[in-house]
Amino acid sequence: MSAALLQVQSLRKVFPGKPPVVAVDDISFSLGAGEILGLLGPNGAGKTTTIQMLLSTLRSTSGSISYFGMDLERHRSEILKYVGYGSAYAALVWRLSVEENLEIYARLACVPWRERAQRVTALLERFDASSFRKKQMSELSAGQRTRVVLCKVFVGYPKIALLDEPTASLDPDVAHEVRAFVKHQRREYGVSMLYTCHNMAEVEEVCDEVLFLTKGKIIARDTPQALASSIAGTRVRFTASGQGEKLLLWIARHAPGAVVKDEESAEVWTEDEQVPALIESLIKEGLQFSRLSVERASLEDFFLQMTKKQPASPGEAGEAP
Amino acid sequence: MSFQRIWAIVLRYCYYFLRSWDRLTDSVYWPILDITLWGLASKWILTQQEGKVPHLALILLTGVVFWQVVWRGSYEISVNLLEEFWNDNLVNLFATSLTKYEWMAGVMLVGLVKLFLTLVVGIATVWLFYSLNIFVLGWSMLPFVASLLMSGWFVGFFSSGLIIRYGEKIQTLAWVMGWMLAPFSAVFYPLNVLPEWAQVIARCLPTTYVFEGMRQIIANGSPPWDYVLISLGLNVLYLGASVAFFSYMFEQRRWRGLAK
Repeated sequence: MSAALLQVQSLRKVFPGKPPVVAVDDISFSLGAGEILGLLGPNGAGKTTTIQMLLSTLRSTSGSISYFGMDLERHRSEILKYVGYGSAYAALVWRLSVEENLEIYARLACVPWRERAQRVTALLERFDASSFRKKQMSELSAGQRTRVVLCKVFVGYPKIALLDEPTASLDPDVAHEVRAFVKHQRREYGVSMLYTCHNMAEVEEVCDEVLFLTKGKIIARDTPQALASSIAGTRVRFTASGQGEKLLLWIARHAPGAVVKDEESAEVWTEDEQVPALIESLIKEGLQFSRLSVERASLEDFFLQMTKKQPASPGEAGEAP
Repeated sequence: MSFQRIWAIVLRYCYYFLRSWDRLTDSVYWPILDITLWGLASKWILTQQEGKVPHLALILLTGVVFWQVVWRGSYEISVNLLEEFWNDNLVNLFATSLTKYEWMAGVMLVGLVKLFLTLVVGIATVWLFYSLNIFVLGWSMLPFVASLLMSGWFVGFFSSGLIIRYGEKIQTLAWVMGWMLAPFSAVFYPLNVLPEWAQVIARCLPTTYVFEGMRQIIANGSPPWDYVLISLGLNVLYLGASVAFFSYMFEQRRWRGLAK
Protein backbone atom coordinates (compact mmCIF):
# COMPACT_ATOMS: atom_id res chain seq x y z
CA MET A 1 0.00 0.00 0.00
CA SER A 2 1.31 3.43 -0.94
CA ALA A 3 1.60 6.29 1.55
CA ALA A 4 -1.78 7.63 2.65
CA LEU A 5 -2.81 10.93 1.07
CA LEU A 6 -5.95 11.04 3.14
CA GLN A 7 -6.09 9.82 6.70
CA VAL A 8 -9.33 9.73 8.68
CA GLN A 9 -9.10 8.95 12.34
CA SER A 10 -12.00 8.19 14.72
CA LEU A 11 -14.34 10.48 12.80
CA ARG A 12 -17.71 10.99 14.40
CA LYS A 13 -20.68 13.20 13.64
CA VAL A 14 -23.66 13.58 15.90
CA PHE A 15 -26.47 15.89 14.84
CA PRO A 16 -28.21 17.41 17.84
CA GLY A 17 -31.86 16.61 18.34
CA LYS A 18 -34.20 14.59 20.46
CA PRO A 19 -32.77 12.03 20.33
CA PRO A 20 -29.40 13.06 18.80
CA VAL A 21 -28.65 11.38 15.47
CA VAL A 22 -25.32 9.61 15.16
CA ALA A 23 -24.66 9.94 11.44
CA VAL A 24 -21.04 8.80 11.45
CA ASP A 25 -19.78 6.71 14.30
CA ASP A 26 -16.06 6.54 14.94
CA ILE A 27 -14.77 5.65 11.50
CA SER A 28 -11.12 5.45 10.49
CA PHE A 29 -9.67 4.80 7.07
CA SER A 30 -7.00 5.96 4.71
CA LEU A 31 -6.69 6.55 1.00
CA GLY A 32 -3.38 5.84 -0.69
CA ALA A 33 -1.85 7.52 -3.73
CA GLY A 34 -3.56 6.34 -6.90
CA GLU A 35 -6.10 4.30 -4.98
CA ILE A 36 -9.81 4.23 -5.77
CA LEU A 37 -11.79 3.52 -2.65
CA GLY A 38 -15.50 2.81 -2.90
CA LEU A 39 -17.81 4.07 -0.18
CA LEU A 40 -20.85 1.86 -0.08
CA GLY A 41 -23.84 1.55 2.13
CA PRO A 42 -27.60 1.88 2.15
CA ASN A 43 -29.34 5.26 2.21
CA GLY A 44 -28.68 6.98 5.51
CA ALA A 45 -25.50 4.98 6.16
CA GLY A 46 -23.41 8.14 6.50
CA LYS A 47 -21.67 8.27 3.09
CA THR A 48 -22.66 11.82 2.18
CA THR A 49 -22.07 13.04 5.74
CA THR A 50 -18.57 11.56 5.56
CA ILE A 51 -17.88 13.25 2.23
CA GLN A 52 -19.15 16.59 3.52
CA MET A 53 -16.77 16.32 6.48
CA LEU A 54 -13.92 15.43 4.12
CA LEU A 55 -14.65 18.70 2.30
CA SER A 56 -14.92 20.63 5.56
CA THR A 57 -18.36 21.88 4.56
CA LEU A 58 -19.55 20.02 7.64
CA ARG A 59 -17.71 20.01 10.95
CA SER A 60 -17.14 16.73 12.69
CA THR A 61 -18.13 16.22 16.31
CA SER A 62 -14.79 14.54 16.98
CA GLY A 63 -11.93 12.84 15.20
CA SER A 64 -9.45 14.11 12.68
CA ILE A 65 -9.03 14.37 8.92
CA SER A 66 -5.66 14.98 7.34
CA TYR A 67 -4.63 15.26 3.71
CA PHE A 68 -1.01 15.10 2.60
CA GLY A 69 -0.06 14.99 6.29
CA MET A 70 -1.83 18.30 7.04
CA ASP A 71 -4.83 18.75 9.29
CA LEU A 72 -7.90 19.75 7.23
CA GLU A 73 -9.32 22.19 9.75
CA ARG A 74 -6.03 24.10 10.02
CA HIS A 75 -4.94 23.97 6.38
CA ARG A 76 -8.30 23.86 4.63
CA SER A 77 -7.61 26.30 1.83
CA GLU A 78 -4.18 24.88 1.04
CA ILE A 79 -5.51 21.29 0.98
CA LEU A 80 -8.67 21.88 -1.04
CA LYS A 81 -6.64 23.25 -3.96
CA TYR A 82 -5.81 19.61 -4.64
CA VAL A 83 -9.19 18.08 -3.95
CA GLY A 84 -11.90 17.83 -6.59
CA TYR A 85 -15.49 17.23 -5.61
CA GLY A 86 -18.50 16.33 -7.67
CA SER A 87 -21.93 15.09 -6.81
CA ALA A 88 -24.74 14.28 -9.16
CA TYR A 89 -26.92 16.11 -6.66
CA ALA A 90 -24.96 19.35 -6.15
CA ALA A 91 -25.82 21.44 -9.17
CA LEU A 92 -23.77 24.25 -10.61
CA VAL A 93 -25.14 27.74 -11.29
CA TRP A 94 -28.25 27.28 -13.43
CA ARG A 95 -28.22 30.56 -15.29
CA LEU A 96 -24.57 30.36 -16.28
CA SER A 97 -23.38 28.50 -19.33
CA VAL A 98 -21.38 25.30 -19.05
CA GLU A 99 -18.27 27.19 -20.12
CA GLU A 100 -18.80 30.01 -17.60
CA ASN A 101 -19.34 27.56 -14.76
CA LEU A 102 -16.16 25.67 -15.62
CA GLU A 103 -14.16 28.89 -15.99
CA ILE A 104 -15.21 29.90 -12.48
CA TYR A 105 -14.18 26.56 -11.00
CA ALA A 106 -10.90 26.61 -12.92
CA ARG A 107 -10.20 30.02 -11.36
CA LEU A 108 -11.23 28.80 -7.91
CA ALA A 109 -8.76 25.96 -8.35
CA CYS A 110 -6.10 28.52 -9.35
CA VAL A 111 -5.50 26.97 -12.79
CA PRO A 112 -3.00 29.29 -14.55
CA TRP A 113 -4.75 31.55 -17.08
CA ARG A 114 -2.70 30.22 -20.00
CA GLU A 115 -4.00 26.69 -19.42
CA ARG A 116 -7.54 27.50 -18.37
CA ALA A 117 -9.35 27.57 -21.72
CA GLN A 118 -7.36 24.61 -23.01
CA ARG A 119 -8.15 22.56 -19.90
CA VAL A 120 -11.86 23.30 -20.10
CA THR A 121 -11.95 22.42 -23.81
CA ALA A 122 -10.04 19.17 -23.29
CA LEU A 123 -12.40 18.05 -20.53
CA LEU A 124 -15.52 18.99 -22.46
CA GLU A 125 -14.26 16.98 -25.42
CA ARG A 126 -13.38 14.05 -23.19
CA PHE A 127 -16.90 13.94 -21.79
CA ASP A 128 -18.51 14.56 -25.15
CA ALA A 129 -19.88 17.86 -23.86
CA SER A 130 -18.46 20.35 -26.37
CA SER A 131 -21.72 20.60 -28.26
CA PHE A 132 -23.50 22.20 -25.30
CA ARG A 133 -20.67 24.28 -23.86
CA LYS A 134 -22.53 27.53 -24.60
CA LYS A 135 -25.83 26.34 -23.12
CA GLN A 136 -27.02 27.34 -19.68
CA MET A 137 -27.04 24.61 -17.04
CA SER A 138 -30.81 24.94 -16.76
CA GLU A 139 -31.18 23.87 -20.39
CA LEU A 140 -29.29 20.59 -19.97
CA SER A 141 -30.62 17.11 -19.36
CA ALA A 142 -29.70 15.32 -16.13
CA GLY A 143 -27.07 13.28 -17.95
CA GLN A 144 -25.50 16.36 -19.54
CA ARG A 145 -25.36 18.11 -16.16
CA THR A 146 -23.64 15.11 -14.62
CA ARG A 147 -20.97 15.28 -17.35
CA VAL A 148 -20.38 18.96 -16.64
CA VAL A 149 -20.06 18.22 -12.94
CA LEU A 150 -17.38 15.64 -13.79
CA CYS A 151 -15.53 18.25 -15.85
CA LYS A 152 -15.69 20.51 -12.81
CA VAL A 153 -14.17 17.83 -10.57
CA PHE A 154 -11.10 17.44 -12.75
CA VAL A 155 -10.68 20.99 -14.04
CA GLY A 156 -8.23 21.89 -11.27
CA TYR A 157 -5.88 18.88 -11.71
CA PRO A 158 -6.88 17.34 -8.34
CA LYS A 159 -4.69 14.85 -6.53
CA ILE A 160 -7.76 13.48 -4.79
CA ALA A 161 -11.28 13.37 -6.21
CA LEU A 162 -14.34 12.82 -4.07
CA LEU A 163 -17.03 11.51 -6.39
CA ASP A 164 -20.56 11.17 -5.10
CA GLU A 165 -22.47 8.95 -7.56
CA PRO A 166 -20.62 10.26 -10.61
CA THR A 167 -22.53 8.15 -13.11
CA ALA A 168 -26.02 8.69 -11.75
CA SER A 169 -28.48 9.46 -14.56
CA LEU A 170 -25.97 8.77 -17.33
CA ASP A 171 -26.66 6.60 -20.36
CA PRO A 172 -24.69 3.32 -20.28
CA ASP A 173 -22.29 4.44 -23.03
CA VAL A 174 -21.48 7.73 -21.28
CA ALA A 175 -21.21 5.95 -17.92
CA HIS A 176 -18.72 3.61 -19.56
CA GLU A 177 -16.79 6.61 -20.86
CA VAL A 178 -16.76 8.11 -17.36
CA ARG A 179 -15.42 4.91 -15.83
CA ALA A 180 -12.72 4.78 -18.47
CA PHE A 181 -11.82 8.40 -17.70
CA VAL A 182 -11.69 7.76 -13.96
CA LYS A 183 -9.36 4.81 -14.49
CA HIS A 184 -7.26 6.84 -16.90
CA GLN A 185 -6.88 9.67 -14.36
CA ARG A 186 -5.65 7.18 -11.81
CA ARG A 187 -3.32 5.39 -14.23
CA GLU A 188 -1.81 8.47 -15.87
CA TYR A 189 -1.86 11.05 -13.09
CA GLY A 190 -2.11 8.92 -9.95
CA VAL A 191 -5.32 10.66 -8.87
CA SER A 192 -6.77 9.01 -5.77
CA MET A 193 -10.52 8.77 -5.49
CA LEU A 194 -13.25 8.18 -3.01
CA TYR A 195 -16.21 6.88 -4.95
CA THR A 196 -19.79 6.42 -3.87
CA CYS A 197 -22.14 4.64 -6.20
CA HIS A 198 -25.27 2.52 -6.15
CA ASN A 199 -24.22 0.50 -9.17
CA MET A 200 -22.37 -2.47 -7.70
CA ALA A 201 -21.03 -3.70 -11.03
CA GLU A 202 -19.45 -0.28 -11.50
CA VAL A 203 -17.88 -0.39 -8.05
CA GLU A 204 -16.48 -3.83 -8.81
CA GLU A 205 -15.03 -2.51 -12.05
CA VAL A 206 -13.55 0.73 -10.77
CA CYS A 207 -12.68 0.41 -7.10
CA ASP A 208 -9.58 -1.21 -5.63
CA GLU A 209 -11.21 -1.52 -2.26
CA VAL A 210 -14.59 -0.88 -0.76
CA LEU A 211 -15.58 0.55 2.62
CA PHE A 212 -18.98 -0.64 3.64
CA LEU A 213 -20.90 1.64 5.97
CA THR A 214 -24.07 0.87 7.87
CA LYS A 215 -25.61 3.18 10.44
CA GLY A 216 -22.50 5.33 10.42
CA LYS A 217 -20.06 2.51 11.09
CA ILE A 218 -17.59 0.81 8.80
CA ILE A 219 -18.53 -2.84 8.91
CA ALA A 220 -16.21 -4.08 6.19
CA ARG A 221 -13.21 -2.98 4.14
CA ASP A 222 -11.80 -5.19 1.44
CA THR A 223 -11.53 -5.62 -2.29
CA PRO A 224 -14.90 -5.96 -4.06
CA GLN A 225 -13.99 -9.54 -4.99
CA ALA A 226 -13.12 -10.47 -1.41
CA LEU A 227 -16.31 -8.92 -0.08
CA ALA A 228 -18.36 -10.80 -2.65
CA SER A 229 -16.64 -14.08 -1.90
CA SER A 230 -17.32 -13.59 1.81
CA ILE A 231 -20.87 -14.65 0.94
CA ALA A 232 -20.71 -18.41 1.05
CA GLY A 233 -22.33 -20.48 -1.63
CA THR A 234 -23.48 -20.32 -5.18
CA ARG A 235 -26.70 -19.06 -6.63
CA VAL A 236 -28.63 -21.23 -9.05
CA ARG A 237 -31.33 -19.44 -11.02
CA PHE A 238 -33.67 -21.15 -13.40
CA THR A 239 -36.88 -20.68 -15.29
CA ALA A 240 -39.20 -23.58 -16.02
CA SER A 241 -41.82 -22.12 -18.30
CA GLY A 242 -45.39 -23.33 -17.80
CA GLN A 243 -44.40 -25.79 -15.05
CA GLY A 244 -45.42 -23.85 -11.96
CA GLU A 245 -46.91 -26.78 -10.09
CA LYS A 246 -43.93 -29.05 -10.74
CA LEU A 247 -41.64 -26.23 -9.64
CA LEU A 248 -43.41 -25.79 -6.31
CA LEU A 249 -43.33 -29.55 -5.78
CA TRP A 250 -39.61 -29.64 -6.45
CA ILE A 251 -39.02 -26.76 -4.06
CA ALA A 252 -40.98 -28.50 -1.32
CA ARG A 253 -38.93 -31.67 -1.77
CA HIS A 254 -35.44 -30.44 -2.52
CA ALA A 255 -34.99 -26.76 -1.75
CA PRO A 256 -37.31 -25.35 0.90
CA GLY A 257 -35.08 -22.27 1.09
CA ALA A 258 -35.59 -21.33 -2.55
CA VAL A 259 -36.99 -17.97 -3.47
CA VAL A 260 -39.76 -18.13 -6.06
CA LYS A 261 -39.42 -15.09 -8.29
CA ASP A 262 -42.60 -15.61 -10.22
CA GLU A 263 -44.78 -18.57 -11.14
CA GLU A 264 -42.07 -20.21 -13.22
CA SER A 265 -38.71 -18.90 -11.93
CA ALA A 266 -36.81 -19.61 -8.78
CA GLU A 267 -33.46 -18.84 -7.15
CA VAL A 268 -31.61 -21.14 -4.80
CA TRP A 269 -28.51 -20.50 -2.73
CA THR A 270 -26.53 -23.63 -2.09
CA GLU A 271 -23.08 -24.87 -1.12
CA ASP A 272 -20.73 -25.07 -4.11
CA GLU A 273 -20.48 -28.86 -3.93
CA GLN A 274 -24.27 -29.23 -3.83
CA VAL A 275 -24.80 -27.60 -7.23
CA PRO A 276 -24.53 -30.80 -9.39
CA ALA A 277 -26.93 -32.68 -7.11
CA LEU A 278 -29.38 -29.81 -7.20
CA ILE A 279 -29.42 -29.69 -10.98
CA GLU A 280 -29.73 -33.48 -11.15
CA SER A 281 -32.79 -33.33 -8.89
CA LEU A 282 -34.37 -30.79 -11.22
CA ILE A 283 -33.85 -33.10 -14.16
CA LYS A 284 -35.13 -36.10 -12.26
CA GLU A 285 -38.25 -34.17 -11.33
CA GLY A 286 -38.91 -33.73 -15.05
CA LEU A 287 -38.56 -29.96 -14.99
CA GLN A 288 -37.49 -28.49 -18.30
CA PHE A 289 -35.74 -25.16 -18.01
CA SER A 290 -35.76 -22.42 -20.54
CA ARG A 291 -32.96 -20.71 -18.57
CA LEU A 292 -30.44 -21.92 -16.03
CA SER A 293 -27.57 -19.95 -14.51
CA VAL A 294 -25.02 -20.79 -11.84
CA GLU A 295 -23.34 -17.73 -10.31
CA ARG A 296 -20.87 -16.91 -7.61
CA ALA A 297 -21.98 -14.23 -5.14
CA SER A 298 -21.44 -10.68 -6.35
CA LEU A 299 -20.83 -7.41 -4.54
CA GLU A 300 -24.53 -6.74 -4.87
CA ASP A 301 -25.24 -9.93 -2.94
CA PHE A 302 -22.86 -8.72 -0.26
CA PHE A 303 -24.65 -5.37 -0.21
CA LEU A 304 -28.04 -7.04 0.13
CA GLN A 305 -26.76 -9.37 2.81
CA MET A 306 -25.32 -6.49 4.80
CA THR A 307 -28.49 -4.50 4.51
CA LYS A 308 -30.52 -7.57 5.46
CA LYS A 309 -32.37 -7.81 2.20
CA GLN A 310 -30.85 -11.12 1.19
CA PRO A 311 -32.91 -13.90 2.69
CA ALA A 312 -31.73 -17.05 1.06
CA SER A 313 -28.05 -17.75 1.63
CA PRO A 314 -27.45 -21.40 2.52
CA GLY A 315 -29.05 -22.48 5.71
CA GLU A 316 -31.45 -19.53 5.93
CA ALA A 317 -35.17 -19.65 5.43
CA GLY A 318 -36.46 -18.37 2.13
CA GLU A 319 -38.87 -15.53 1.61
CA ALA A 320 -42.44 -16.53 1.09
CA PRO A 321 -43.38 -16.40 -2.56
CA MET B 1 -66.62 25.21 -11.57
CA SER B 2 -65.96 23.03 -8.57
CA PHE B 3 -66.02 24.58 -5.11
CA GLN B 4 -63.83 21.72 -3.87
CA ARG B 5 -61.11 22.62 -6.35
CA ILE B 6 -61.32 26.34 -5.60
CA TRP B 7 -61.10 25.55 -1.90
CA ALA B 8 -58.08 23.30 -2.56
CA ILE B 9 -56.32 26.28 -4.16
CA VAL B 10 -57.28 28.56 -1.25
CA LEU B 11 -55.90 26.02 1.20
CA ARG B 12 -52.73 25.55 -0.86
CA TYR B 13 -51.87 29.26 -0.62
CA CYS B 14 -53.06 29.68 2.96
CA TYR B 15 -50.92 26.81 4.21
CA TYR B 16 -47.92 28.27 2.40
CA PHE B 17 -48.70 31.77 3.68
CA LEU B 18 -48.77 30.62 7.30
CA ARG B 19 -45.41 28.89 6.93
CA SER B 20 -43.76 31.61 4.91
CA TRP B 21 -42.05 34.56 6.53
CA ASP B 22 -41.82 36.24 3.13
CA ARG B 23 -45.56 36.37 2.62
CA LEU B 24 -46.22 37.41 6.22
CA THR B 25 -43.67 40.19 5.86
CA ASP B 26 -45.18 41.36 2.59
CA SER B 27 -48.56 41.65 4.24
CA VAL B 28 -47.46 43.55 7.34
CA TYR B 29 -43.95 44.99 7.15
CA TRP B 30 -44.06 47.00 3.92
CA PRO B 31 -47.34 48.81 4.63
CA ILE B 32 -46.12 49.76 8.11
CA LEU B 33 -42.79 50.92 6.72
CA ASP B 34 -44.34 53.05 4.00
CA ILE B 35 -46.82 54.64 6.39
CA THR B 36 -44.03 55.43 8.87
CA LEU B 37 -41.65 56.91 6.29
CA TRP B 38 -44.12 59.02 4.38
CA GLY B 39 -46.11 59.90 7.50
CA LEU B 40 -42.98 61.38 9.12
CA ALA B 41 -42.03 63.16 5.88
CA SER B 42 -45.54 64.66 5.67
CA LYS B 43 -45.39 65.72 9.32
CA TRP B 44 -42.11 67.52 8.68
CA ILE B 45 -43.43 69.34 5.60
CA LEU B 46 -46.62 70.40 7.41
CA THR B 47 -44.68 71.91 10.32
CA GLN B 48 -42.67 74.19 7.98
CA GLN B 49 -43.69 77.80 7.36
CA GLU B 50 -46.77 77.71 5.13
CA GLY B 51 -45.99 74.06 4.50
CA LYS B 52 -43.11 74.98 2.19
CA VAL B 53 -39.66 73.39 2.39
CA PRO B 54 -36.89 74.94 0.26
CA HIS B 55 -35.46 72.43 -2.24
CA LEU B 56 -38.03 69.84 -1.13
CA ALA B 57 -38.02 67.89 -4.40
CA LEU B 58 -34.23 67.74 -4.48
CA ILE B 59 -34.09 66.63 -0.84
CA LEU B 60 -36.62 63.87 -1.38
CA LEU B 61 -35.14 62.64 -4.65
CA THR B 62 -31.58 62.76 -3.30
CA GLY B 63 -32.88 60.70 -0.39
CA VAL B 64 -34.44 58.18 -2.77
CA VAL B 65 -31.33 57.86 -4.94
CA PHE B 66 -28.85 57.69 -2.09
CA TRP B 67 -30.93 55.30 -0.02
CA GLN B 68 -30.55 52.95 -2.97
CA VAL B 69 -26.82 52.88 -2.20
CA VAL B 70 -27.51 51.44 1.25
CA TRP B 71 -30.20 49.11 0.08
CA ARG B 72 -28.39 47.83 -3.01
CA GLY B 73 -25.18 47.39 -1.02
CA SER B 74 -27.02 45.22 1.48
CA TYR B 75 -29.18 43.45 -1.08
CA GLU B 76 -26.26 42.47 -3.30
CA ILE B 77 -24.54 40.65 -0.45
CA SER B 78 -27.52 38.77 0.92
CA VAL B 79 -29.11 37.97 -2.46
CA ASN B 80 -25.80 36.69 -3.83
CA LEU B 81 -25.65 34.36 -0.86
CA LEU B 82 -29.25 33.32 -1.49
CA GLU B 83 -28.37 32.68 -5.15
CA GLU B 84 -25.98 29.99 -3.93
CA PHE B 85 -28.74 28.45 -1.84
CA TRP B 86 -31.20 28.57 -4.74
CA ASN B 87 -28.65 26.98 -7.08
CA ASP B 88 -27.60 24.32 -4.54
CA ASN B 89 -24.12 25.63 -5.18
CA LEU B 90 -22.92 26.54 -1.69
CA VAL B 91 -21.23 23.19 -1.13
CA ASN B 92 -19.59 23.33 -4.57
CA LEU B 93 -18.15 26.76 -3.80
CA PHE B 94 -16.85 26.01 -0.35
CA ALA B 95 -15.59 22.56 -1.35
CA THR B 96 -12.87 24.51 -3.17
CA SER B 97 -10.05 26.41 -1.54
CA LEU B 98 -12.23 29.52 -1.47
CA THR B 99 -12.28 31.11 1.99
CA LYS B 100 -15.25 32.89 3.48
CA TYR B 101 -13.27 36.15 3.49
CA GLU B 102 -12.53 35.78 -0.23
CA TRP B 103 -16.22 35.24 -0.87
CA MET B 104 -17.01 38.36 1.16
CA ALA B 105 -14.47 40.42 -0.77
CA GLY B 106 -15.92 39.14 -4.04
CA VAL B 107 -19.51 40.10 -3.23
CA MET B 108 -18.37 43.52 -1.97
CA LEU B 109 -16.66 44.15 -5.31
CA VAL B 110 -19.77 43.09 -7.22
CA GLY B 111 -21.78 45.48 -5.04
CA LEU B 112 -19.38 48.30 -5.87
CA VAL B 113 -19.74 47.78 -9.61
CA LYS B 114 -23.52 47.51 -9.45
CA LEU B 115 -23.65 50.59 -7.23
CA PHE B 116 -22.04 52.61 -10.00
CA LEU B 117 -24.79 51.47 -12.36
CA THR B 118 -27.54 52.26 -9.83
CA LEU B 119 -26.17 55.74 -9.15
CA VAL B 120 -25.74 56.63 -12.80
CA VAL B 121 -29.26 55.47 -13.63
CA GLY B 122 -30.76 57.16 -10.54
CA ILE B 123 -29.04 60.51 -11.05
CA ALA B 124 -29.78 60.52 -14.79
CA THR B 125 -33.45 59.69 -14.19
CA VAL B 126 -33.83 62.53 -11.68
CA TRP B 127 -32.20 64.93 -14.15
CA LEU B 128 -34.22 63.74 -17.14
CA PHE B 129 -37.62 63.50 -15.46
CA TYR B 130 -37.43 66.39 -13.00
CA SER B 131 -34.59 68.61 -14.28
CA LEU B 132 -32.94 68.39 -10.87
CA ASN B 133 -29.20 67.99 -10.63
CA ILE B 134 -28.02 65.83 -7.75
CA PHE B 135 -24.45 66.83 -8.69
CA VAL B 136 -25.21 70.08 -6.91
CA LEU B 137 -23.72 68.19 -3.95
CA GLY B 138 -20.38 68.31 -5.79
CA TRP B 139 -17.40 66.11 -5.03
CA SER B 140 -18.25 66.18 -1.35
CA MET B 141 -20.88 63.61 -2.33
CA LEU B 142 -18.18 60.93 -2.74
CA PRO B 143 -17.32 60.36 0.94
CA PHE B 144 -21.03 60.32 1.70
CA VAL B 145 -21.61 57.69 -0.97
CA ALA B 146 -18.65 55.66 0.31
CA SER B 147 -20.07 55.82 3.80
CA LEU B 148 -23.52 54.75 2.62
CA LEU B 149 -22.03 51.83 0.74
CA MET B 150 -20.23 50.70 3.90
CA SER B 151 -23.57 50.91 5.70
CA GLY B 152 -25.11 48.71 3.02
CA TRP B 153 -22.32 46.21 3.45
CA PHE B 154 -22.64 46.00 7.21
CA VAL B 155 -26.38 45.47 6.95
CA GLY B 156 -25.78 42.91 4.18
CA PHE B 157 -23.28 40.89 6.19
CA PHE B 158 -25.51 40.99 9.23
CA SER B 159 -28.54 39.69 7.32
CA SER B 160 -26.35 37.19 5.42
CA GLY B 161 -25.01 35.92 8.73
CA LEU B 162 -28.55 35.14 9.82
CA ILE B 163 -29.43 33.65 6.42
CA ILE B 164 -26.42 31.37 6.31
CA ARG B 165 -27.15 30.19 9.82
CA TYR B 166 -30.88 29.64 9.47
CA GLY B 167 -31.18 29.06 5.73
CA GLU B 168 -33.62 30.12 3.06
CA LYS B 169 -36.61 30.15 5.38
CA ILE B 170 -35.59 33.64 6.49
CA GLN B 171 -34.61 34.82 3.00
CA THR B 172 -36.97 37.76 3.36
CA LEU B 173 -34.28 39.41 5.49
CA ALA B 174 -32.40 40.12 2.25
CA TRP B 175 -35.13 42.62 1.31
CA VAL B 176 -36.30 43.68 4.74
CA MET B 177 -33.17 44.30 6.76
CA GLY B 178 -31.85 47.34 4.89
CA TRP B 179 -35.19 49.12 4.96
CA MET B 180 -35.46 48.57 8.73
CA LEU B 181 -32.92 51.34 9.17
CA ALA B 182 -34.68 53.76 6.83
CA PRO B 183 -37.15 55.33 9.28
CA PHE B 184 -34.33 55.91 11.78
CA SER B 185 -31.86 57.20 9.20
CA ALA B 186 -33.78 60.41 8.53
CA VAL B 187 -33.65 59.80 4.81
CA PHE B 188 -36.59 61.97 3.80
CA TYR B 189 -36.94 64.26 6.86
CA PRO B 190 -34.63 65.78 9.47
CA LEU B 191 -33.65 63.96 12.62
CA ASN B 192 -35.72 66.18 14.91
CA VAL B 193 -38.96 64.94 13.31
CA LEU B 194 -38.42 61.59 14.97
CA PRO B 195 -39.66 60.97 18.52
CA GLU B 196 -36.99 61.26 21.25
CA TRP B 197 -36.47 57.51 21.67
CA ALA B 198 -36.06 57.08 17.93
CA GLN B 199 -33.54 59.93 17.79
CA VAL B 200 -31.34 58.00 20.24
CA ILE B 201 -31.31 55.04 17.83
CA ALA B 202 -30.82 57.36 14.86
CA ARG B 203 -27.70 58.92 16.39
CA CYS B 204 -26.13 55.47 16.58
CA LEU B 205 -26.59 54.95 12.83
CA PRO B 206 -23.96 56.14 10.35
CA THR B 207 -26.65 56.69 7.70
CA THR B 208 -28.32 59.43 9.77
CA TYR B 209 -25.20 61.62 9.60
CA VAL B 210 -24.99 61.16 5.84
CA PHE B 211 -28.57 62.23 5.14
CA GLU B 212 -28.41 65.09 7.65
CA GLY B 213 -25.17 66.17 5.98
CA MET B 214 -26.67 66.00 2.50
CA ARG B 215 -29.57 68.21 3.51
CA GLN B 216 -27.07 70.71 4.92
CA ILE B 217 -25.16 70.79 1.62
CA ILE B 218 -28.39 71.34 -0.32
CA ALA B 219 -29.42 74.09 2.11
CA ASN B 220 -26.19 76.05 2.43
CA GLY B 221 -23.65 74.39 0.12
CA SER B 222 -21.02 73.58 2.76
CA PRO B 223 -20.29 69.92 3.54
CA PRO B 224 -20.31 69.07 7.27
CA TRP B 225 -17.06 67.13 7.48
CA ASP B 226 -17.61 66.24 11.12
CA TYR B 227 -20.71 64.28 10.01
CA VAL B 228 -18.65 62.50 7.36
CA LEU B 229 -16.07 61.49 9.95
CA ILE B 230 -18.62 60.28 12.49
CA SER B 231 -20.43 58.33 9.79
CA LEU B 232 -17.25 56.69 8.49
CA GLY B 233 -16.08 55.90 12.02
CA LEU B 234 -19.38 54.22 12.91
CA ASN B 235 -19.33 52.32 9.63
CA VAL B 236 -15.83 50.98 10.25
CA LEU B 237 -16.99 49.78 13.65
CA TYR B 238 -20.22 48.20 12.41
CA LEU B 239 -18.68 46.71 9.28
CA GLY B 240 -15.97 45.06 11.38
CA ALA B 241 -18.60 43.71 13.74
CA SER B 242 -20.82 42.43 10.93
CA VAL B 243 -17.90 40.67 9.20
CA ALA B 244 -17.07 38.99 12.52
CA PHE B 245 -20.76 38.11 12.95
CA PHE B 246 -20.99 36.60 9.46
CA SER B 247 -17.82 34.63 10.04
CA TYR B 248 -19.18 33.30 13.35
CA MET B 249 -22.53 32.35 11.83
CA PHE B 250 -20.79 30.67 8.87
CA GLU B 251 -18.86 28.49 11.32
CA GLN B 252 -22.08 27.75 13.21
CA ARG B 253 -23.65 26.66 9.93
CA ARG B 254 -20.75 24.31 9.28
CA TRP B 255 -21.80 22.31 12.34
CA ARG B 256 -25.04 21.58 10.52
CA GLY B 257 -23.46 21.46 7.07
CA LEU B 258 -23.45 23.87 4.15
CA ALA B 259 -25.59 21.50 2.12
CA LYS B 260 -29.33 22.17 2.24
